[in-house]
Amino acid sequence: MGETVLEIRHLSKAFGSNSVLKDIDFTVEKGDVISIIGASGSGKSTLLRCINLLETPTGGEILYHGRDVAGRGVNAPEYRSHVGMVFQSFNLFSNMTVLENCMVGQTKVLKKSKEEARENAMRYLTKVGMAPYINARPRQISGGQKQRVAIARALAMEPEVLLFDEPTSALDPEMVGEVLAVMQDLAHEGMTMLVVTHEMAFARDVSSRVVYMNEGVICEQGSPAEVFGNPQQPETKEFLARFRQN
Amino acid sequence: MDRLVQLFADIAKLWQGYGASYLTGMRNTLVLALIGTLIGCIIGFICGVLNTIPYTKRDSLAKRGVLGFIRGLVRVYVEVFRGTPMVLQAVFLYYGLPYFTNNTVRFTDIWSAAILVVSINTGAYMAESVRGGIISIDPGQAEGAKAIGMNHWQTMTNVILPQALRNILPQIGNNFIINVKDTSVMFIIGFPDFFAAHRAAVGASYLYFPSATVEMAAYLTMTLVASFLLRWVEKRLDGADSYELVNADPLVMTAGTYSHPHKGSPTDEYSKEFRENLKNAMKNRNFDKRGER
Repeated sequence: MGETVLEIRHLSKAFGSNSVLKDIDFTVEKGDVISIIGASGSGKSTLLRCINLLETPTGGEILYHGRDVAGRGVNAPEYRSHVGMVFQSFNLFSNMTVLENCMVGQTKVLKKSKEEARENAMRYLTKVGMAPYINARPRQISGGQKQRVAIARALAMEPEVLLFDEPTSALDPEMVGEVLAVMQDLAHEGMTMLVVTHEMAFARDVSSRVVYMNEGVICEQGSPAEVFGNPQQPETKEFLARFRQN
Repeated sequence: MDRLVQLFADIAKLWQGYGASYLTGMRNTLVLALIGTLIGCIIGFICGVLNTIPYTKRDSLAKRGVLGFIRGLVRVYVEVFRGTPMVLQAVFLYYGLPYFTNNTVRFTDIWSAAILVVSINTGAYMAESVRGGIISIDPGQAEGAKAIGMNHWQTMTNVILPQALRNILPQIGNNFIINVKDTSVMFIIGFPDFFAAHRAAVGASYLYFPSATVEMAAYLTMTLVASFLLRWVEKRLDGADSYELVNADPLVMTAGTYSHPHKGSPTDEYSKEFRENLKNAMKNRNFDKRGER
């Protein structure tokens, strides 16, 4: 097994009295592609947002290379520059062109030169097939294209882990494929990825591990073959059965 | 009819006597409104940005205390200067400062006093506009910026403020136009603006209505030109609505422009290409008005 990148220990999150995550434990190793599945409201997205510190966990630890990042006095921006995130709603900067979107993090956060940032951005934009659109603004391109740019923007920071928060849920069915194809390429190249998804085929075929969440706890986890082929928990069986029906 | 002729004659007479003072008045009004709006915007931006620095329960007590104090201070400033007439603020500051400092702090020239009053007044309005502009930006924009490692300051300057500025530009224009008109109250501290020119002119000539007509027309002209210019600036800031495809891969599409959504494209009925196609189609119908069946 590879080196441990992220270790989540006893993580919990409550919004007021509403407990969304309860005692979550799992580790992410280099090269892992982990799919997090589960019904809406089971805490999948909150887990991902906690890992990126967009939400502040109410308890537990998030260890990044053995260093707790969830506590006080942590340089959250510095940590986030190593952990990229792709959102359901893209969140491309609407005041910038496609190219500027992919450059701004490199020049402002990583302090790279303009030329270097541009070259790097072009490399990743070419990878996701968006190089021809560098002068377009986010409002001028389609949803699938936006999400591919968002992936390129995250990649341009050269993160160690990439978090995907339902990257295809806001897309029209015909655009889901182009985004999943990019993600599949990344997985094959050994990128460490955490993917919250409702695309069961992606979870089954691409990921190295599947985590099923139910009501704020990890109900079951294992290889796709184990979880999809031979689910142990009744909740997992029921959840997967619903997907098989439709 | 002869009243109108009389009016024009009176205006001509006024212009001959006081044309120069009207023109300097207009210049002073415009300069004061412009500088006051600019400084007011800067004040507004500083207040708006200070007012929206986020803090959570996890932050240290000192940070929360300082930020809470700043918010309170800005709030008081906004409420006081938004809730009192500018004409009173002018009197209050112009005579108040020497009064309280025993004449050690006083305004040596009327310009600095007028600019100060207009700026703080505009700043109070702009502070709220900027705050509104900032909180109106989709929180996803800030999350996207945070997710690539930007801190609050970088997020603000690179992502939020440019978008907020675009959104509050109509407000800035609004304030400028209001300032063009409302600087007329600065005559109270003796500022030689356009309205002061009116007072001087009628004081000597007693041509109240003709001078007011001149004032009305000129104020309207100034504000119309200003709003026209602002629309133009807004349009420029929005950028082009089409973009160049930078193409290396001929399979994707031939190099050219893709317009959004249909502007200038062959399917756009206002495009040259569409009209030409239409014209050719009409020509090739052999003059049969019903077309081919």
